[in-house]
Amino acid sequence: MEIRALLSAMWRSRTGPILVAAQVAITLAVLVNVGYIVQLRLHNVAEPTGLDVPNIFWVVSQSYTPEYNHAVTVQADLDYLQSLPGVIAAATTSHVPQGFGTSSLPFAADPTVLEKGGGVPAFIYFGSEQLIQALGVKLIAGRAFDAAAVRPPAADGREMFGGWSSEAVITKNLADKLFPNGDALGKTLHAGLVNKPATIVGIVETLQHAPAMGRAAEFFRTGVMLPAIAPGPNTAYLVRTQPGRRDATMARVEKEMGDMQPGRYLASMEPLATTLDRQRLSQRSSIVTLSIVAVFVLGVTMVGIVGLAAFTVATRTKQLGTRRAIGATKFQILRYFLVENWIITSAGVLVGAALALAVGIKLSEIYAMPRLPLVYLVGGIVTLWIVGQISVWIPARRAAAISPATATRTV
Amino acid sequence: MFMHDLGLALQSMRRHPVLSALMVLAIAAGIAASMITITVYHGRAGHPIWWKADKLYAVTLDTRDPDTANAFSGLTRHPEYPPFQVTYRDAKALYRSDIPERSVMMFRSNRVITPERKGERPFATAVRVTTADFFAMFDVPFLYGTGWSRADDDAPAPIVVLSKYANDKLFGGRNSVGRSITIGDRQFRIIGVIDAWLPQPKFYDLNNSGFDLPENLFMPWGWTEALRLPSGGSTSCVRSNAKVGSFEDLLAQDCVWLQYWAELPTAAQRERYQRFVDNYVTDQKQYGRFPRPLNNRIVNVDEWLKMYDVVGDETRIQVAVALMFLLVCILNTFGLMLAKFLKAAPISGLRRALGASRIDVMRQHLVEVVIVGLLGGALGLALSFFGLQAMRAINSRPFPGMDDNPARVAIQQSLTNLDFQMFAVALALSLLTGVLAGLYPAWRVGKLAPSSFLKTQ
Repeated sequence: MEIRALLSAMWRSRTGPILVAAQVAITLAVLVNVGYIVQLRLHNVAEPTGLDVPNIFWVVSQSYTPEYNHAVTVQADLDYLQSLPGVIAAATTSHVPQGFGTSSLPFAADPTVLEKGGGVPAFIYFGSEQLIQALGVKLIAGRAFDAAAVRPPAADGREMFGGWSSEAVITKNLADKLFPNGDALGKTLHAGLVNKPATIVGIVETLQHAPAMGRAAEFFRTGVMLPAIAPGPNTAYLVRTQPGRRDATMARVEKEMGDMQPGRYLASMEPLATTLDRQRLSQRSSIVTLSIVAVFVLGVTMVGIVGLAAFTVATRTKQLGTRRAIGATKFQILRYFLVENWIITSAGVLVGAALALAVGIKLSEIYAMPRLPLVYLVGGIVTLWIVGQISVWIPARRAAAISPATATRTV
Repeated sequence: MFMHDLGLALQSMRRHPVLSALMVLAIAAGIAASMITITVYHGRAGHPIWWKADKLYAVTLDTRDPDTANAFSGLTRHPEYPPFQVTYRDAKALYRSDIPERSVMMFRSNRVITPERKGERPFATAVRVTTADFFAMFDVPFLYGTGWSRADDDAPAPIVVLSKYANDKLFGGRNSVGRSITIGDRQFRIIGVIDAWLPQPKFYDLNNSGFDLPENLFMPWGWTEALRLPSGGSTSCVRSNAKVGSFEDLLAQDCVWLQYWAELPTAAQRERYQRFVDNYVTDQKQYGRFPRPLNNRIVNVDEWLKMYDVVGDETRIQVAVALMFLLVCILNTFGLMLAKFLKAAPISGLRRALGASRIDVMRQHLVEVVIVGLLGGALGLALSFFGLQAMRAINSRPFPGMDDNPARVAIQQSLTNLDFQMFAVALALSLLTGVLAGLYPAWRVGKLAPSSFLKTQ
């Protein structure tokens, strides 16, 4: 093939090809890294929470006058919520999953680890008897809370922590970390700072407290649930209903529950699905924004490739006609442009690959995310090759269609 | 002269309407993406109290355990930073220093207000429990009345300052100074009402969110112990030997939950204060506290916002990607301009042959480039306006139980606000884009010898 002639022609008007190659290089770097970042976020958004999201709602009761009796109110509320038709479970919870606020402590199998400041950090939920059932998490070993183990409300949050609980249900990842032999059930879990032990009575497969990426992701999936009723003045209840009965139950609770006990009102109420959506809003909008920009970058680069090829065709009409006149086939002309584009794209891709890797390494350092997998780079390179060939196709076809007679005309 | 150049430029653009439109669109897309992300960045990176940039300092002490491999250290990007808040006992010790012009120790809590009017529901609201200097230190504007004095902190007086929102809600916006209000089960007298005040980011306490409303109630510091007020922000017990269990534990143990600020107008004061703080910490070491090497950071508002990383990774990534996109757009326009100019070079050659100078030809082309840049910029600005509107609408979804404070909308606005500065940035970006993309093509065309175009191809 006429590679040498092609290269020399490119060299004569090199500014255009260099510009297109530069565009290709930056496009590759953007495409590969944005693709990876978006993929990580998509994965994060789709990550299972372990919760029975569509069938749970939460409601917060807020007390405000001295006539309010916390212990009486909580028991009456739980009885009321559990008596509602269609309700599978209802429990108090110190934290609404996927809501805001986190309490955490370091945990260990061996208390001496904690004295040295070590341990595995995990988030904590204090809740009433049916907490595990109300979360809808999957119990893979042991049991949920025993009614007798539920501690009555403490005076305040600190005393709730200080009083701790005799038993605990923990997430599988914490069980695996603390007891690598898989014999966590029945063992003692030691909590730092409060310096309290609890027997592990159950292990749940997954429970995600909040969607997080990078360093904190694992922490927000590592949880300890303890049977104790949180103190006032506000109390959050988690209610899990049978499928399809959530909204009707919510409407009824909103109408009835507030006035059933004196000195309080229902401060807020929401389906868990809405809470989850809000938590993931910034991730979602980031995914959309980045994807749009990535598509635009590719689009603009396509315009650049088409523009350059069209310009080449337009300025070399006569030469192309001459080539056709002296025997070049339409296919050869077409091939010429396709090969030219392939060379330009490849040059761009070569520089772009280095750029993409450099950006990728930097990003993984800053944001504590795993290194850019090479498959993204390969995917990006192949995409740009294909996009380049597609872009150049139309002007190349036009070039191939130039009549050999053009050679005989003067301009 | 300029009108002539303009005419020629427009003529040239009309000759290739599709190509010109493509260039304008590419620039518009690049500018829009950049402007949307830069505006959000600008909103998040704002300096809410710039006029006191070198006067206000947040105080942090390194109270942590000696072991750097602390259970929670893996969760942060900067394990070298001391905790952002201080303990109760340290706050009280620092407060004794008279080096700073003003000092504030404070935290956020929650209380329930019961309105006087019958039939109105009580509501829970955020309270700032703080020492007296808060209002003067952060230049909080008062609508009615004033703040309190240091004497009211010690033996806590039953007085409060209301936010404008709380005053509107409870008293219909009338001057409520001297009236009383039921908070929890106690009566407090209102001594002041704050005017609209919305520092964004909410720099003085960044715990719950960088972009949050100031509290609706401000209460003298002494109520902390008197009412055993719980912290509604973040509490972190930073020593493994800390004991957590009761309110008394919280006050006595190495648990950080208070924000501490000092106003230090001169460099001399800052140095003295740093020495004072370091001496205090060194002295405490004899009681087995502060086991780490000295790492007490007294930081100004800028550094403070950086430590909390208020801007956030998401915003930075988006700005970076958008700017890369703009760069691709510039390169693209560069290439297309060059192709377009060279294709039309015979016309320029004719103009040169008829007496136009090299500069004339270059100028004519530059005018075209600038027009394309400005058109793209204008279109991009319009696009970014709509993009930001959409973002504002999406992010303004209320939270259940959230109050109806109109300032929430203002926060979203402040984060997506195309202000005068942003217009200037857009103008600069579009001019820069046009010039970067078009300078070389215009120069190339100007440089060509006229004779080469007067021949046949």
